[in-house]
Parts: sequence; structure tokens; C-alpha cells
Amino acid sequence: MIPDTHRSDTAGSRRIHVVQGEYAVSDDPDVMLGTILGSCVAACVCDPKAGVGGMNHFLLPGDKETATAGGGPQALRYGVQSMELLLNALYRKGARRERLEVKLFGGARVVDGLSDIGLQNADFAERFLQAEGIHLMVGSLRGDKARRVQFWPVSGRVRQMALVEPGKQVFEAERAKPAPAPVADDGELELF
Amino acid sequence: MPAAAQIRVMVVDDQMTMRSLVRTGLQQLGFADIVEAPDGEEALRQILSRPVHLVISDFNMPRLDGMGLLRALRSHGPTAKTAFIMLTGRADKELVQKAVQLGVNNYLVKPFTVQTLKEKIEAVFGKLT
Repeated sequence: MIPDTHRSDTAGSRRIHVVQGEYAVSDDPDVMLGTILGSCVAACVCDPKAGVGGMNHFLLPGDKETATAGGGPQALRYGVQSMELLLNALYRKGARRERLEVKLFGGARVVDGLSDIGLQNADFAERFLQAEGIHLMVGSLRGDKARRVQFWPVSGRVRQMALVEPGKQVFEAERAKPAPAPVADDGELELF
Repeated sequence: MPAAAQIRVMVVDDQMTMRSLVRTGLQQLGFADIVEAPDGEEALRQILSRPVHLVISDFNMPRLDGMGLLRALRSHGPTAKTAFIMLTGRADKELVQKAVQLGVNNYLVKPFTVQTLKEKIEAVFGKLT
């Protein structure tokens, strides 16, 4: 278990932990979004003029296709979906694409001997922003250390801390929630 | 059985990356005549200029969203019967039901596989060759 330590200047913030496969958006200046990243990537996105921001946390499935082809379309769709859900939620709260400020974190190689899933996640995130014409301000990607990231979505302020826990521990924690299986259909809406 | 290569498809999504994923999937299924638009307004302009057989459109888009595009196509005689598949996220089920009322032919939940894309298109056109 990775300890969820507090720092003194987060004491007044309402904390929302964003786990793999999810996202959160807020326009509350007292909200802090946090996550722990190994090979996963989190995009911290803020529209300072609209006073709204959000964070996602995604992992491309590290299957054979991804490992051999550098991330095929079948794998990339999870990252695209995660980014789209976050961006659409921000737009619904008044954010505008041309004002978005994005900071990317994660994508570390925390375990030796496996294909570098972190690198694929990091590369995807950068390519996505470039393709969509969304401004990447700064971030901290790749490397070999797991990270704790704290993000204040209204101000856009972000803080990163390298974790001292063994990377393998974070890697396994990330995979405790497996990447979503391919969706044939959710089966809950029978209209056709 | 319709030949995929003979079906002209319009892919509408404000995210270029998603359009690219759909286009790649369509190409894997044999589609060759594929056009794109970043929003409903631009899609409508292109379709009125040169009709398509199938529209695959996101719901959430600036200017004219997927529902607005569907409504516009259905209310215009020459495009009223254009096949329309709506791309949607899991949270959009109520919107899918509204789209059904407007005459959408099918829907596709993101993220989807190429196989699912094929099944949804075949549900509209019949088995593809």
C-alpha cells in the first residue's frame, strides 16, 4: 500500500483521487486533484479564464500489438477516449480549446524487463496534443521514478513529488485495476 | 451485399485523433471513399455539396453537434434517408435515446473495436463485401 501522505499546504483543499481509467473536473478553487503514477500518464488541463480544470489518468494496454507496433490503433483508442472524456467535460463547464493549458505527468519505466509501456503512454499523450493543436505547457514525463501529482484545477497550479516506494509496487498498484477490455457493446441499451 | 469501397462515408468529430482512428478502422474494413469534418456545420456543408451514404458522427462537438447534424439531415429531403451512426460515450445514453427519436440508424460506444464498427455498419447496410 502506498501511503497517502499529506503536506501542510493541502490541508485546506478538498482532495479527489483520480484512479486509472477515470477523470475529474472541477471549478471549485478549494479542490485538489491527486493521483499516483507509474507508467500511466495524467493530463492536468486548465482553462484559467473559465476557472475550470481537470485531470485524467490513463494507461494504454501493453499488449503484444502495442509492444511490437509502438501502439496500434486498437491500443490507442483508450488514450483517445480518456482525453476526449476529460476535454468534453471541460467544454461543458465553459472551457475553450484555444485557452487550454496542459501539463503532462507520468510515463515512467518503473519495472525493467518489460516493454516500455510508460514510454508508449508518454509518446501518445504528446502526439495527441500536437495532433489536436492543444498547447502543452510543461510536464514531467518518462524517467524511472513513480510520481505523486497534485493539481489545483482552477489555478492550474501543479506539484509533483517523486515517490521513494519501489517502482514495482506502483506498477502493480496500477495494474490492480486492469485496462478496460475492448468494448463490443455495453449491452445496456437495446434499441436496434 | 454492398461493397464497402462503394460506400461514401463522412466521419465527423472535433478531435482529429478520433477521426483518424475511425478512418483507419474503415480502411481496414475496405472503405476507400472517406471524408472528414471537425463539426456538424462543416459536415452539413460538405454533405449538401456532395452527398454521402453514411455519416459516422460524434455527439459532442462545437458549433453544430451530432444531434443538430442528424436533425438537419433528416429535415432536408435529399439527405433525409442518409444512414447515420452516432458515436457516443457511456454517459450519453439519454442522448442516444433522443437520437433514436430523431431517426439515428445506430450508435457506437467509444472506445470501440473495428469488429464492432463493422457490426454496426452491417446492421445498417447488410453484410459488407
